[in-house]
Amino acid sequence: MRLGLLLTFAAMGLATYLTRAPLLFALARRRLPDWVERYFAALPIALITALALPLVLLAPGNAVLGWVTDLPAAAAVAVLARRTGHLLIAVAGGVVLVALLRALLG
Amino acid sequence: MRLSPVTARGDSPLSSGSSSPVASAGRAEAWAGVRDALTTVVPSIVAYGIVWGGLARQAGLSLGELVAMCLLVTAGTAQFVALPMIQSGAPAWLLVVTTYIVNLRHYLMAASLAPHFAHLSRGRLALLAHGVTDESYALTMARYAEHPPHPAYYAGSAATTYLAWYVGATAGGILGGRIPDPHRYGLDFVFPAVFIAILARTIQARWQWAVAAVATVVALAVKATLGGTWHIALAGLGASALGIWLAPAAGARGPEAGGGRAR
Repeated sequence: MRLGLLLTFAAMGLATYLTRAPLLFALARRRLPDWVERYFAALPIALITALALPLVLLAPGNAVLGWVTDLPAAAAVAVLARRTGHLLIAVAGGVVLVALLRALLG
Repeated sequence: MRLSPVTARGDSPLSSGSSSPVASAGRAEAWAGVRDALTTVVPSIVAYGIVWGGLARQAGLSLGELVAMCLLVTAGTAQFVALPMIQSGAPAWLLVVTTYIVNLRHYLMAASLAPHFAHLSRGRLALLAHGVTDESYALTMARYAEHPPHPAYYAGSAATTYLAWYVGATAGGILGGRIPDPHRYGLDFVFPAVFIAILARTIQARWQWAVAAVATVVALAVKATLGGTWHIALAGLGASALGIWLAPAAGARGPEAGGGRAR
């Protein structure tokens, strides 16, 4: 074990915690103004969209193949999720489809 | 990690759900969090943990060092970004600053989770803060859109995703890179699939479509120009502003995401 490396990891952990804890503490006990509540009502959709869509539309590597395999699978996930309401069914269906398409086309 | 039932329900001003029998609800919600994580994101997190563990060995970390890194840093994306920097001998301050920047998106996730955790003690909040990750956040907000929000669900899903990461990373460190590519089995696709499934289930009202559309445009533009993980924080910050004008007032709203339907 290199001590310097461990200290660096500890500092990285502290930096990470500084992005997680402060607002959790600051906002847990406070009645928020109505406009902030409306802002927060939109936040999950905005964040989860921002996490998801670039992963599908800006896939690293072979962009063209990525679109041909990942985009139909993403559409299938959305349809399955809306029809069944089950995360597991939608995700499993999408993974199987994307693996098949990649095996066939890749 | 033992999950004791949380006795106070996180009664959010955003939710109008009726309260359920409190003590047993804690344990049930914790298990629901464990189950939802296990059946969706865990296989991929383990796979990526294995990949990361293999890369960490190639970057010159010993098994002990890579386990210590997981335990201390607790953030998968930042750990991936750090490996090539460690390998090339980057200075410590640069590793710390990069970690902070990569994790900036957690501010928004913590802010959005916080109102559900009123009534929790400082100690509990301090512990729960460690669990703010992309996966636990997405699963938890999807749950809270359809059920009365309970901190135990978040704790269960966060603890499970952490354990998956540790198990995967340790296994990868032991295997040392002799493992297949997750891309071949579509395991990389699990992450966007989980997020898309949650969105497809949640989005009903027109204002929610508008937020998602703007978030998509901003995220793609930022990702294409700046790269890295800036697009998550910037699109999250920017597109949510639409909610100020378009989202219905808190009192008029059901579950806070605006009427996600029950399973």
